[in-house]
Amino acid sequence: MTSLQTKIVEAFLAQLASSPDVDAAQVEQLGGLLAENKNPRPDDLVKIFSLPVDAPIE
Amino acid sequence: MIKLESAHIEEMRGIRKLNLDFRRQTFVISGPNGSGKSGVIDAIEFGLTGAIGRLTGSGTKGISVSEHGPHVDKTRFPDAAFVKLKVFLPELGKSATITRKVNSPRNPIVEPPDVDIQAALGQIADHPEVTLSRRDIIRFILVEPTKRSDEIQSLLKLTRLGQIRSALNTAQNKLQGAARAASAQASSSRETLRLHLQTPAISPESLLAAVNKQRNVLTLLPIEELTADTALDSGLSDTATRPAFFNKESAFSDLRALTQATQVLSEFAAAEVAAVVADLTKLEADPALLAALQRRSFIEKGLVLVDGPACPLCDTSWENEQHLREHLRAKLAKSVEAQELQDSLLRTGMAIAERVIRLGDTVTPVQKLAEAEGEDTFSKALTAWRSGLEELKATLVTADGLMALKDRLTGNWLQAPEMLAEKLRMLAEKVAARPDQAATVHAHTFLTTAQVRLSDYREALKREKAAKHASTSAKTAYDVYCRVLEGELNALYEEVQDDFCIFYRLLNEDDESRFTAKLTPSEGQLDLKVNFYDRGLFPPGAYHSEGHQDGMGVCLYFALMKRLFGNAFSFALLDDVVMSVDAGHRYQFCKLLKTNFPETQFIITTHDRLWAEQMKSAGVVSGRTSVVFNGWTIDTGPVIESNKEIWEDIDAALAKGKVEAAAAALRHHLEYVSRHLADQLGATPAFRADGNYELGDLLPSVLSRMKKLYGVAAAAAQSWGSLSDMSVIGQRKAALSADAGASNVEQWAVNKAVHYNEWANFGRTDFAPVVAAFRALLAHFRCDSCDSWIYVTPKRGAAESLRCSCSRINVNLKQKAT
Repeated sequence: MTSLQTKIVEAFLAQLASSPDVDAAQVEQLGGLLAENKNPRPDDLVKIFSLPVDAPIE
Repeated sequence: MIKLESAHIEEMRGIRKLNLDFRRQTFVISGPNGSGKSGVIDAIEFGLTGAIGRLTGSGTKGISVSEHGPHVDKTRFPDAAFVKLKVFLPELGKSATITRKVNSPRNPIVEPPDVDIQAALGQIADHPEVTLSRRDIIRFILVEPTKRSDEIQSLLKLTRLGQIRSALNTAQNKLQGAARAASAQASSSRETLRLHLQTPAISPESLLAAVNKQRNVLTLLPIEELTADTALDSGLSDTATRPAFFNKESAFSDLRALTQATQVLSEFAAAEVAAVVADLTKLEADPALLAALQRRSFIEKGLVLVDGPACPLCDTSWENEQHLREHLRAKLAKSVEAQELQDSLLRTGMAIAERVIRLGDTVTPVQKLAEAEGEDTFSKALTAWRSGLEELKATLVTADGLMALKDRLTGNWLQAPEMLAEKLRMLAEKVAARPDQAATVHAHTFLTTAQVRLSDYREALKREKAAKHASTSAKTAYDVYCRVLEGELNALYEEVQDDFCIFYRLLNEDDESRFTAKLTPSEGQLDLKVNFYDRGLFPPGAYHSEGHQDGMGVCLYFALMKRLFGNAFSFALLDDVVMSVDAGHRYQFCKLLKTNFPETQFIITTHDRLWAEQMKSAGVVSGRTSVVFNGWTIDTGPVIESNKEIWEDIDAALAKGKVEAAAAALRHHLEYVSRHLADQLGATPAFRADGNYELGDLLPSVLSRMKKLYGVAAAAAQSWGSLSDMSVIGQRKAALSADAGASNVEQWAVNKAVHYNEWANFGRTDFAPVVAAFRALLAHFRCDSCDSWIYVTPKRGAAESLRCSCSRINVNLKQKAT
């Protein structure tokens, strides 16, 4: 079953992907982080948002 | 989700050993308080999740599953405490068993070891909310909005969503701070650059103007345009533009030193030279002194060369070397005047030599300067002079040298280059004509520093841009997340609110059919207000009774579970929750379960046996899917009476000659059946204010009520002209009267065969007819198809029909209107 949590995360990533302020690489990494079954740490998010523009994904 | 097929429980909580067959259907466990019902719920919850909700959370400090999960007599043997559940997984269409021991709650044994089954059971283990107790209901209803929000978000597995929001918020705050710091750094770098350029403001034009001014000093090409790659110090690394290691002031100093030293060459060391010349003149004038001096010199050399008894000067052989040395020293002692003269000469010669050395030192830098300035001839002349002075220096420190220099010392003994003063002046002019050294060095330094500061500024700008981008990304992400979260939660709460109202209205359709409620989510809280008889929206605890509040809790739970699991909501444990529903709304509660959750298996406990019977009557459960716990002892655990097998149990007891046990079982059965039927049929026993009705009060009244209802039914059938119905009703009434007569119920007060106080004194053969009579009598009140007890509907007001749960029995009681 699709949980509400999954639904919200998917909608969040979809809307974020269409935002000019957030790069595709950032959205992809965010998706990976939020897919993990643990709570994201602010520092992990800071790293993602601090990625160089159009940086290749590690 | 799952459906529960069966459970085997050993040494868990208050249970020693218990098998329950749930048949994947809703199941009711009834029994008085302390009979072990909740122990079953605990065991099932433990089997599914590895935890027991009642033993965790606030108010349970010092209590744990590991210590208090096992039966109190098995706390030292936690491995003896286990639960084995057989479950059915609807989504997989598979059955599995899960065995979980208290001493290893996180490692259940699942059979078969199917990956899908394990994953599905793992999912269930993550949903302790399948258990609802009255305590949970209060958590949803009678709490502050913040706690309700927490509880509901926890139940709906939304806690992580809040944690994600919190992490995003923290991240955006950090990045905003970093962006501010980066902007401050950029401003600082810009100001540092501006101060260096000495311009009122930084602009490409002002920057290039300041830089090109300095480049001009170094004769570098001006920079026409400032781009991202522009290097302000371009060209500085070229040799031609690199400032030479030339110190103008030092050069002037060197020139001044040599000029001053040679300004009046004739006076250079004039006194010392005069003294030397005087001494030398004296020598020339006194040949003996000269000879003595010359010999002295000769002897001094010989003394140095003595190496044995042979004289190195004349080869004369002496007695020994000592004698030779003493002879030579005696000769030296004899030329004291010559000695003094020689000392004077050497002392003065040394003084002149020192002056010559200093003069030579002033020549060298000027020679290099001349060379650097391209004055090669002058440079060579100075080089030659420097060499001559070096030789002169060596000559001035010996007596022979000085004697050889006598003629030179009386003339131009320094032998300076011709026109030295003029050439020095010209060289000085040339040096003076060179660019100002400070300006070039300043220009060089200016450009180098400007480039460094411009690079710093550019880096600061890059960092600022990156930081702003990161901050903007984080803020956008946070805003989008909040927007999505709020939208989804609002929709969720709206759906929950709608379902909650639907369920509650169904539960209370007799008096609150227009019930409404409002769930209002706001930052970190969830407000709930409910309508009270069209008087407005109020907190649940404001006006509604406790029973109604409990009903709200159950309905809100159902709404939440429906939203959480959707169609997969197939299983829930309701621990004494239905007790909260008052008697007037129990059928409605059953209707709610049957109509809205037909695919959900509820395991329900209640301490009200009548309630359990009502659920049977309503078709929520059957005799096969209900069990009664009659009591509990610490040694045996729950004492179970199976309704389905009551007659078999009584027969078995009689077969063993245990009349007393059979009598007790029959008595218990009659007690709750008569109480239940009195309620179902609307019997009217003599009213007792304490509600303490005995079997003798209820059963005759039930029989009387039933006969009366048959009378009403017959009259109704007649009014409708239904002769066949009249016939059937007549037959039933006759059969009931016959069996009532056989049981002598109507003679309750006087016939000892009816009065249970006498049963224990009966023999087996005496009691068997009593059992048969009551069994036949009770069969008149039960549908042999669905096994439910018959009941009158509606519950209040004029009776309209007599029915069973499956409607196989459906007797009309309402007469045709005339």
